Amino acid sequence: MTNNSSVEKPKDLVVSSPPQITGTMSKTRVMTYTFVALLIITIITAIMWWPVMAPPVDALYISEEAMSSLLASCLVMPLGAVLLLNALIAVGVAVLSDFLIGKAAADSEVNTMSAAVFGLIVALCYSIGVPSMASGIEMMPIEALCAPLCFIFVALTSFIGLVVFKKLQGMKGRKLVNPAATAKLLVLLPFLSSIFLVKEHWSSSYELGGLGMPQLAGVVDRVGDMSFGTYIRGCYSIPGKDLGSFESLMILGKYHGWPGGASSIAVIIVGVALIFLLRNYFKWKITATYFGSVAVMSLIMTGIYGGDPMTRLLFELFIGSSIFLGFFMATDPATTPYTRNGQIIFGIGLGILTVIIQTYMNFFGGALLALVIMNLTVPLLDRIGIHKPFGR
Amino acid sequence: MPYEHIKEVKEQARITPIETFPDPKTAIVILNQHSGKPLSPLVAVDDIVAIGQKIADSKERISSPVHSPISGKVVKIGNIYNHCLETFTDAIFIENDGKKTKANALSPISEAELQKTKPVDLLNIIHEAGIIGLGGAGFPTHIKLAPPAEFPIKNLVVNATEGEPYDTADERLLVEKTANLLRGVNVIKRILGNPKVTIATKVSKVEAIPKLQEVFGNEPDTTVVAGHFKYQQGDASVLQKALFGYETPPTKRSYEMGCIVQNVATINAIANAVFDGEPLISRVVAFNGEIAQPKNLLVKIGTPISDIFAQNNIDMNDVRQVVVGGVMMGHAIPTTEAPITKRSSSIIPFSESNYKKEQKQTACIHCSKCISACPVKLHPILIYNAIMKPDMETAEKLWNKDCIGCGTCSYVCPSRIPLASAIMASR
Repeated sequence: MTNNSSVEKPKDLVVSSPPQITGTMSKTRVMTYTFVALLIITIITAIMWWPVMAPPVDALYISEEAMSSLLASCLVMPLGAVLLLNALIAVGVAVLSDFLIGKAAADSEVNTMSAAVFGLIVALCYSIGVPSMASGIEMMPIEALCAPLCFIFVALTSFIGLVVFKKLQGMKGRKLVNPAATAKLLVLLPFLSSIFLVKEHWSSSYELGGLGMPQLAGVVDRVGDMSFGTYIRGCYSIPGKDLGSFESLMILGKYHGWPGGASSIAVIIVGVALIFLLRNYFKWKITATYFGSVAVMSLIMTGIYGGDPMTRLLFELFIGSSIFLGFFMATDPATTPYTRNGQIIFGIGLGILTVIIQTYMNFFGGALLALVIMNLTVPLLDRIGIHKPFGR
Repeated sequence: MPYEHIKEVKEQARITPIETFPDPKTAIVILNQHSGKPLSPLVAVDDIVAIGQKIADSKERISSPVHSPISGKVVKIGNIYNHCLETFTDAIFIENDGKKTKANALSPISEAELQKTKPVDLLNIIHEAGIIGLGGAGFPTHIKLAPPAEFPIKNLVVNATEGEPYDTADERLLVEKTANLLRGVNVIKRILGNPKVTIATKVSKVEAIPKLQEVFGNEPDTTVVAGHFKYQQGDASVLQKALFGYETPPTKRSYEMGCIVQNVATINAIANAVFDGEPLISRVVAFNGEIAQPKNLLVKIGTPISDIFAQNNIDMNDVRQVVVGGVMMGHAIPTTEAPITKRSSSIIPFSESNYKKEQKQTACIHCSKCISACPVKLHPILIYNAIMKPDMETAEKLWNKDCIGCGTCSYVCPSRIPLASAIMASR
């Protein structure tokens, strides 16, 4: 008698458009999986690099004078610790900026996991560690590769990348260029000729009055003290220790350069596992075509310039920038094509451009520049990449 | 091409035998349950009707009549929510007198007479019985089974895939009415001039497969295919690709490729009409979802959905959403006063207590998963972006009209963008 009306009047049912169920994969989940993958790589590299001191106090080739100036401006600490601090700073700056922008602008979506992934990529693509053969130490501003200066650059890259290239760029619809790659290029532009286009990479031949360092636009092999292979071994080995073998440095572990690509085999295992986990939520077609075209291009370059095909192939595929970028930066969903055909062209173009830039600009880590250039072609690739639907 | 796996929730429902649901006190028979021209009532308020009596029809070719599911008095002709059209439409309200008087509207034949009966007479029985595509499309079956003479039908496909993740009505028919399905298939074969028969079912229907093999195994030109079919392959054209390898152009009908695909429930209804003289006044409805005991119910068309909830003692205060006709392609109804129609293959309630807060729609992350998941190879997100602009010219250039509405793109979207419903609405 008393409460009859509430019993009789059924409550409103929720009406929504089909489908009424959704899959288990969400944006946060995609980002979390990616973050965990990157974190595993960070930890592997940090452990591998822990015994290495930076700057190298016992480096063979550093003059006493250079060493004292170096010690005055740099903190001597394990390279692994530098990486962990870099990662912490980059992720912290990115997540905090994302949060603050979300607070300030009501229409900005706070996306913590996405910001964290971005921060970790910034830390993993920031070269640290001093090449053990950095004999002419004054040629390189290696302070930027060591603590504490690198902390400032990483923080700056993370901040500019998030605010300008993630948030501002995202406001006008689709992002055009990869935020981490573009921010790094921008922040480190003052060091263009010393970090990206290292003098030893380009003024190296005897003919040009250089130190005789071999170039990629020439014979690449591993024979003799002045060969490309030996030069690379000097670059990537632990300072002050015996040079490792070329294969083990390229595949198992390098001790200078992009922390993300320090161990190629680790990147491949983690990357392939992530692809199996995310399936088509990960643009693996870009990864596959990128490495495929890099391999073909290095064989073509060997055909043109001669030398040992294996040396060039291992270098082009497994240099830290190449292996890490191929898996984790070239596949950034926002700045790569939607369409299947577009992704395939993108990957092939990226590979070709990377090898050309590394060969002719002597820009080791040229994949970064190639990526930004290819990003600009995405709107076009998406137009020409449209495939015909079922039955048409 | 790999199709997206959609998790099925059928363990309980698929093993639960069909149960006859009691006749309703008031039957609400919606006039327009088919896709085609609207019907006009043949009865008026206060008329007395019998079970199986035709109560609404149209002279238009693409239409299908409806019949009274019970005997009693017409009390009202008024509006009720029609889930087929997602709006309120006219319906005939009939009060049950409990007498169960039957009208003999159809002239059934015996199985021995089948080969002597002309196809046109069989089609006439199917028409008069009000049979439409019970898989969800609701297209009048007598039209579908009468393709133009220049297109001979080589293949009849019995679509027994039932991919909707909660639907089990067809599966129970396969298990319990296998012999009746053979009778129905024989009628269609007679009409279409003995095409080859392919019965396509899924490996997961473990109880149905041996029954089908037993009943259909020795039939001439008949194959039972139990494949690893995915949900998306339940679509007629996607299924034909899996079976025969060709892709039917969206501009063409199946019959132009020499193939007709029929759903299990429709074939069951054909057999009932042709041999038993029973018009389409009941159907099997899966009652599955977030309820204690999922069921398969043989329900009279016109039974209010609220009756089903009441009889199963379900607390309506805990029901958050009721989906009719499958969770992927069906609609959530605003009221359970709405009746069962010929197209109500399932009733799926979702409860308030199990409800997890949904993720809100967020910006696209450009993962392109929707593009790789689309079974008809469209670019859902690009079409969606064009629709939102709005730039319908671009949407059409991206073939938005080819969408089959399977819902896979929305299902896989990690940003929860309502791709499928937007594209379907733009067609």
